[in-house]
Amino acid sequence: MPNEPADVLIIGAGPSGAVVAKRLAEAGFKVVCLEQGGWLDRADYPGNKLDWELQARRQWATSPNIRGLAVDYPIVEDDTPVSPLMYNAVGGSSIIFAGAWPRALPSDFRVRSIDGVADDWPIDYFELLPYFYRTDRDFGISGLPGDPAYPPDDEDAPMPPLPIGSAGMKVARAHTKLGWHWWPEFNSINSTSYDGRRPCVQRSTCQSGCNEGAKASTDLTHWPKAIARGATLITDARVRRIETNPKGLATGATWLDADGKEHFEPAKVVVLAANAIGTPRLLLLSASPAHPDGLGNSSGLVGKRLMMHPFANVAGLFEEPLMSWQGQFGDLIESLEFYETDEKRGFVRGARWGLAPTGGPVNTALPSRAGEQIWGPEHHLHVRSHLGHGANWGLFAEDLPDEANRVTLSSTVADSSGVPAPEVHYTMADNARRMLDFHIERATESLVEAGAFKIDVDRLMRYSGWHLLGTARMGDDSAASVLDRWNRAHDVPNLYVVDGSCFVTSSGVNPTSTIVAIALRAADHMVESRFEQQVPA
Amino acid sequence: MKTTEVDPIAGLDAAARERFTRVADLLIPAAHGMPSAGEIVNEDRLQFVLRSRPDLLVPLQAALRPELGADVESRLAALATEPANLSALQLAIVAGYYTDRRVRELIGYPGQMAIEVKSWLVPPYLDEGLIDAVLARGPMWRDPATGRRAIVRDAPRTYAERFLETKQKTEGGRDGDARA
Repeated sequence: MPNEPADVLIIGAGPSGAVVAKRLAEAGFKVVCLEQGGWLDRADYPGNKLDWELQARRQWATSPNIRGLAVDYPIVEDDTPVSPLMYNAVGGSSIIFAGAWPRALPSDFRVRSIDGVADDWPIDYFELLPYFYRTDRDFGISGLPGDPAYPPDDEDAPMPPLPIGSAGMKVARAHTKLGWHWWPEFNSINSTSYDGRRPCVQRSTCQSGCNEGAKASTDLTHWPKAIARGATLITDARVRRIETNPKGLATGATWLDADGKEHFEPAKVVVLAANAIGTPRLLLLSASPAHPDGLGNSSGLVGKRLMMHPFANVAGLFEEPLMSWQGQFGDLIESLEFYETDEKRGFVRGARWGLAPTGGPVNTALPSRAGEQIWGPEHHLHVRSHLGHGANWGLFAEDLPDEANRVTLSSTVADSSGVPAPEVHYTMADNARRMLDFHIERATESLVEAGAFKIDVDRLMRYSGWHLLGTARMGDDSAASVLDRWNRAHDVPNLYVVDGSCFVTSSGVNPTSTIVAIALRAADHMVESRFEQQVPA
Repeated sequence: MKTTEVDPIAGLDAAARERFTRVADLLIPAAHGMPSAGEIVNEDRLQFVLRSRPDLLVPLQAALRPELGADVESRLAALATEPANLSALQLAIVAGYYTDRRVRELIGYPGQMAIEVKSWLVPPYLDEGLIDAVLARGPMWRDPATGRRAIVRDAPRTYAERFLETKQKTEGGRDGDARA
């Protein structure tokens, strides 16, 4: 006998799904969430253990293809120079994300109007601002107010900034000499005790899960509160397809448990929060005679316009010890000096820079990202001169949408439940290549000015697809977008997509802050429109 | 009932372990006051590595197979065409070496420590005026209404001014939208 339909069924317990679940549960909705991973115990995270650097390369790799866990799904990535990264568990990729928390900038929502490329968003920065404040409070953000790269705020970050370390100070002084922007990074990492969670201890292992619970992962920040308000979270639940009725409304989802047994979860409204790879995969898997090209895909754009922020790493080496294996791996400082378009540079749009710690001795001793390897007697000099002596600028280039960059379904590869895997087809655009080349040169100048005597560059890092965006874009024109301005599918009035798939353009900043603000806005809309919401009979 | 844990290095026979030691000594020899990896990465350390990463055993066996001959440099040259096996061998040597207590002491690496964040202290960059230098250049965000750099009335040009704004907001004394 089928269950009583949920008011809202959410697919995915990562950041955006958790935000929607908490908001709707607090508003009295009957919320059910299906998550293909499980609950993790942060006592098991490897960051405070001797074999951290070993586990970080396999069990705690950010690539599901390297981890190869049963709860992961494989991603066919033969046709992309950048590998998508994610985590499948309660908390989703917030378990392994770095925690850097910049917002998209006002110009990011108007790139067609002001730069003549791509498309404008149907919403803007100022419309999102109240949601940024609320999500900053809910996640727990540390930061120094007043960054002149952003419009003035009416509300400061709830916690003071984290330390920027010796490396951050060196680069901040250099940027002062150069007259370039820098600012202590906003991070979703506690600098004080906050909301029952402990402060950061600077261990720098944020991407292997935070042992302290200081980093805002939604298994800590949102799910306990949502569950306390009545939300039901079903783990080890792999959704195979979203079902629809003859009227074209979503009726729920068919899912498989860990033993392969099939279930159906009925719902009045379905919310996809499965990231910009998993969400289009599910929409394409949900094709039916009424939706032959996939659910919500009358525009033909489901899975298309994938953006991943091509990423370069510029590493500076300093004579003096900086103890740069410590510090929040979110970021120490950022620079938005070259973020906005200057056509004299030969490309449009720009990139954000984030200065990060540099890792432990295993990372230092093995061949570098740039391919350098030192063995023999000189190995010892190499490790002594590199370990704790580095500062890394990570450069996130804005990725403009291109329909050729897309997610499709594999006809040959499937996950452990036999569900077709996603295939990623992605080429870095010439504009992004020119952009990264320019930014690599400027970041090199930054580190040299800071005193670096050696610079190593990784011009396009393969395992850098942290930011998955754009594969179900929002827009006002149903022929040219998948979702409306409230994240609702144009084609299916009781289907929402609240993850990074909704992005129209990518911005050039880490997107989680913006993703969750948009998700909260969508959830508010669901609450406000609950009596007008079409639901299946 | 007593259970017996499988020895993770049982999959490497004595000859393979000997070859491992010779490769380790070539890659990380004793020099500059540091011991060699062959000396440090003994059975205990190799067990530690393989307990953490049992997936390394198969590529390690392949990298240490006798068919690649007795000469260590020739072995490494051959493994250049087997990057997965070579990477596993390098990782086992490096991880075994740099998780050893004595090696860590010699390189001055105490491990990833828990360090208290003293967020109540004034950050040194404020004392040095580094934030004031950023604020003195004025707002730099691009106003989407004009496409040009934003103009903000009364934007704070020092951190003291910005801090005063926070204080006024906290005390309920700030008015309206500061955007032009």
